[in-house]
Amino acid sequence: MWEQILPGLRIKIFLTIVLGVVYPLAITGISQVVFPKQANGSLVKAGDKVIGSEIIGQNFAKPEYFHPRPSSAGSGYDATASSGSNLGPTSAKLLRGTTKMDEKKNEVVDFDGVALRVVHYCVENEIPYESSAPLDQFKDARGDLDDVKLVKAFNDDKAPLVFKPKAPIPADAVTGSSSGLDPHISPANAEAQTGRIAKVRGIPAAQMKELIAQSTEQPSLGILGEPRVNVLKLNLMLDRRYPVRP
Amino acid sequence: MTSVGVLQIAIFFILILICAKPLGAFMARLFEGERTFLHPVLRWLEVLTYKVSGIREDVEQRWTQYTAALLSFSIFGFLLTYLLQRAQAFLPFNPQHFGADKVPPDLAFNTATSFVTNTNWQAYGGESTLSYFVQMAALTVQNFASAAVGIAIAVALIRGFARQERRTIGNFWVDVTRATVYVLLPISVVAAFLFVSQGVIQNLSSYTDVTTVEGAKQMIAQGPVASQEAIKQLGTNGGGFFNANSSHPFENPTPFSNLLSMFLIFLIPGALTYTLGKMVGDTRQGWAIFGAFSVMFLIGVFVCYASEQAGNPLFAKIGLQTAATAGQPGGNMEGKEVRFGIANSALYATVTTDASCGAVNSMHDSYTPLGGLVPLFNIQTGEVIFGGVGAGLYGILLYCILAVFIAGLMVGRTPEYLGKKIEQKEVKMAMLAVIATAFSILFFTALSSVITFPAKGYWNPPGPAIANMNNSGPHGFSEILYAYTSGTGNNGSAFAGITANTPWYDLTIGLAMWIGRFLFLIPLLAAAGSLAAKKKIAATAGTFPTHGPLFVGLLVGTVLIVGALTFFPALSLGPIVEHYLMHSGKLFSMIVPPVGIWS
Repeated sequence: MWEQILPGLRIKIFLTIVLGVVYPLAITGISQVVFPKQANGSLVKAGDKVIGSEIIGQNFAKPEYFHPRPSSAGSGYDATASSGSNLGPTSAKLLRGTTKMDEKKNEVVDFDGVALRVVHYCVENEIPYESSAPLDQFKDARGDLDDVKLVKAFNDDKAPLVFKPKAPIPADAVTGSSSGLDPHISPANAEAQTGRIAKVRGIPAAQMKELIAQSTEQPSLGILGEPRVNVLKLNLMLDRRYPVRP
Repeated sequence: MTSVGVLQIAIFFILILICAKPLGAFMARLFEGERTFLHPVLRWLEVLTYKVSGIREDVEQRWTQYTAALLSFSIFGFLLTYLLQRAQAFLPFNPQHFGADKVPPDLAFNTATSFVTNTNWQAYGGESTLSYFVQMAALTVQNFASAAVGIAIAVALIRGFARQERRTIGNFWVDVTRATVYVLLPISVVAAFLFVSQGVIQNLSSYTDVTTVEGAKQMIAQGPVASQEAIKQLGTNGGGFFNANSSHPFENPTPFSNLLSMFLIFLIPGALTYTLGKMVGDTRQGWAIFGAFSVMFLIGVFVCYASEQAGNPLFAKIGLQTAATAGQPGGNMEGKEVRFGIANSALYATVTTDASCGAVNSMHDSYTPLGGLVPLFNIQTGEVIFGGVGAGLYGILLYCILAVFIAGLMVGRTPEYLGKKIEQKEVKMAMLAVIATAFSILFFTALSSVITFPAKGYWNPPGPAIANMNNSGPHGFSEILYAYTSGTGNNGSAFAGITANTPWYDLTIGLAMWIGRFLFLIPLLAAAGSLAAKKKIAATAGTFPTHGPLFVGLLVGTVLIVGALTFFPALSLGPIVEHYLMHSGKLFSMIVPPVGIWS
């Protein structure tokens, strides 16, 4: 029996050296020479400072930029903690959001939920909507929308807030991606955001349309994958061509 | 469903069909000991492996010796994988300084088991847990090893049918070495470079500090990903370098890399059907199995695609576009990436669970109930729709034995398959494998649905085992069912919301993996030994032909009925009831009720 068992240890050690050390190091060495950019993460630099990766999503919240999809990676676009929400289709948390108490015993939003994202998306991009109660009821002292109030209103079982855009909005705009690092949005989602950006940057609408058409990546060979817009690349192009006047 | 979506599925399928014959014929030559066109380049590595390991190429083994060798290889693989993880603080290539505290014993046990059994279930997030050295020397190596084992077992079982009146079924060490040197390694090298060209990273740098355009801090994880990605897909392993697996842009950046991933997953399982036909001297037998695979694959993929494209009616109700338009994919986009959209996500989910891969490019946990039912059911069939490398073929051969047995019962004749009489021993062994895996899935799921532990205790800090769920109601039950299904089926994909990294889940899912792997393999090797010893009998007018559509229908029927009868009650409590509740507008909040048999 031993002659069947001993080779197990010897072959295991040999394979560890060949497949666990030589193989990955050889691939690394050659890749670093042949595809240095891709092998190191397709990093984007401004001067000598790294400002991101072309293929890793990063957060944009300012009105003058295109916004990416909601993210569940860490506290949002954390590229050391990739993750989706893993919430299912009948999850109240996914649809309506949840709140929690923070350390100072203030009620804060724990998970924003699709309904709340729809509200923000409509308001930010001036998309017409119908609401069972005027949104002014859900504003704080400074006149901003109060997310905690909204989430609680959506979760009110007796008389929940019913909020709906008049025309359907692109699903990718208010749903989280799988990795939480999705670098893309759909062209329709980009289109819906153009009004806001054109206003802030003072760009004619026709030029915005052209810009999106230019930055839309079509399916490979016309078939593979979906048409998509890389948010970081598009925003960098915006900054180059139409800088925000201070 | 869109026409472009359907076209992409068709392209993928045609690629697999085209490659089945050339690769299948190559493997048949290889495992019959003939020279191939790769011998001039790689024979030295094969010989060196034998020399270093003390293996005699010309000696064959009986099934018991073959099994002993398999167990030895697996146990040393397990021990080394366990030790390397626990010792990662003292090993090189660890720029983020991950220590043993990241991998406590229960997690290290789970991960080592997972990568030895070709499950590649991950209770950890790669980028926050493991050093580059562990990813390479422990996990990448096991990716090769467990895949080679799968091929070896399949080939041994084929020999059982192909030979007559022999006591041996081949040499385990030789089969494993040849599978690694001539099949897995060369294809992986080519695939790794293709992955890098698409943007999959391959470096040993520390994580990159980034100041984003808006001035926020972002840290970007790095690592030798492409070399692992290639064998992860080719070996139907599926364990991701990163937590988000193949939905992470560094693992799967483009639609092309996505197609390549799926192609690699089905490549060897598809080709092995031709190897079978070639080695038993009747290629029609191989194509019949390929046909049965294809029927079941296409049913699954279109059910899944249709459900995901129809989307979640609750989303539509609050104003989300769920129909596909020119500028956006529609459907259920929660947990899916824009570059893959609905079609490529549904296709990937079907492929990865048909095979025992378990890599994911979208989060199955967020699928619609019926969309998520497809991956779950695929694994519960025993992953015999193309299946894992080797595992799919030996799995379907088990069902072939059952199918001819059932057909034999109907007409009252001793069943035969590939010229061998199927008798008591083979049927017993096949049933043992089926029952052991079903028991593991259903027993552990039932147990975890009711068991409780003291909150903040050692075994399960959240308290009752159902407190680890990320969703409530039937979807939460589906998470537990999926976890044990995936473990037992050696798949490794997950309804990933469940918090599986506690001693209770680490140990029970680990146990499920051992049961699913070895209580499936060993009975089959026993059957192979018994078959090899038998005489071949000539086909007569009374022999039930096993290469025609009738047999394909019978085989598909056997797989579906055995799967359906075993798991239908459990599936009704999960995805099926959730489907109806979703359409009636019912939502579930996460409240853990006080339950349990030992509370």
